[in-house]
Amino acid sequence: MTEAAPNQWLRPWARGFRDAAMLPAWIVGLSLMGVGTLARDVGYPVEAAVLSTFLVWAGPSQVLFFASIAAGAAWSAIALAIGFASLRFLPMTVSLLPLLRRPGQSVAQQMLIAHFVAVTAWVEALRRLPNIPPEQRVGYFLGFANALIVVSAFCTYAGFHLAGIVPTPVAAGLLCLTPIFFLSSMVAGVRGLGDAVAIGFGLALAPVAGWAIGGGFDLIASGVIGGSIAFLIQRWRKARKAGA
Amino acid sequence: MTQPIAFLDGPWWPYLALVLFAVLPTEIWRWLAVAFARKLDENSPWLEWVRLVATSLLAGVVAKLVLAAPGALAGVPLAVRLAALAVAVTIVLAWRRVMLAVLVGEVVLIGGAIWLS
Repeated sequence: MTEAAPNQWLRPWARGFRDAAMLPAWIVGLSLMGVGTLARDVGYPVEAAVLSTFLVWAGPSQVLFFASIAAGAAWSAIALAIGFASLRFLPMTVSLLPLLRRPGQSVAQQMLIAHFVAVTAWVEALRRLPNIPPEQRVGYFLGFANALIVVSAFCTYAGFHLAGIVPTPVAAGLLCLTPIFFLSSMVAGVRGLGDAVAIGFGLALAPVAGWAIGGGFDLIASGVIGGSIAFLIQRWRKARKAGA
Repeated sequence: MTQPIAFLDGPWWPYLALVLFAVLPTEIWRWLAVAFARKLDENSPWLEWVRLVATSLLAGVVAKLVLAAPGALAGVPLAVRLAALAVAVTIVLAWRRVMLAVLVGEVVLIGGAIWLS
């Protein structure tokens, strides 16, 4: 360690923290506010809701968790659905780690970095990190991600308590934040026909599967069927384009 | 509603359930990524399939939350819930502004809930 070491970490960290706290953190926070409301709805304590933001740090997983409990799904089905919904973190983290790799980095450090990978932190990091000197990147990324997670934890807490004091229509609005936010950001992220088909089939199949299968496995079934159809259509399109 | 597993039930159950059924199935992929970061081809068709299944699954969660709505949301007429989603999607398609879409969607939902109750 040299004399300059704390500075080398702290300044990029502070800059990352500030950049996130300007706006992105509040957008993520808004999406996690509904998680607090959902947790209250199934009778879980506020600590569990806030802890879910710190430890799970994945809106979809948290929503699946509390919404599935509300729907009476089997525990095995809940874990499986969350596992499937979080699989995306594998390719996301794999693509991000090379940008943050430093000589002599320990596995523990890499696991800490990996824990903060979630949609917003990932998208923003891929966009911002290449413009930052490599030795400042880890500090910047951690500062950025820390701001996201702290603001989101606060919003989860607020969502839990607000649900008890606001008038019923506003409480309904808090509960609806999550579906509206998810669908909007998914539609905004559509990059091709495959994505659009996956969203369309997911929306249409889930209610049908809920009626036909139930028990929480309906979500996995509709996801696998919808996603596979989307995948096949995308492959077929690519093959046709390549052939033409 | 899903009940706690009987022999594990107690004041710590919500935290235990959270760690077992939400933290672990989520975190494991981040850890595996650290382990396999140098060996995985991020352009493989398998990962593409996984991404599409996850997208479809999430869309399914949205449909379930809106159709079989929890708590206070259940008291809002289905037509209002669907209208709020439709307005939000339209705004995203037209202007690519997620924040604006969420805010207007919320205005439609809360406004509709007040107006129709």
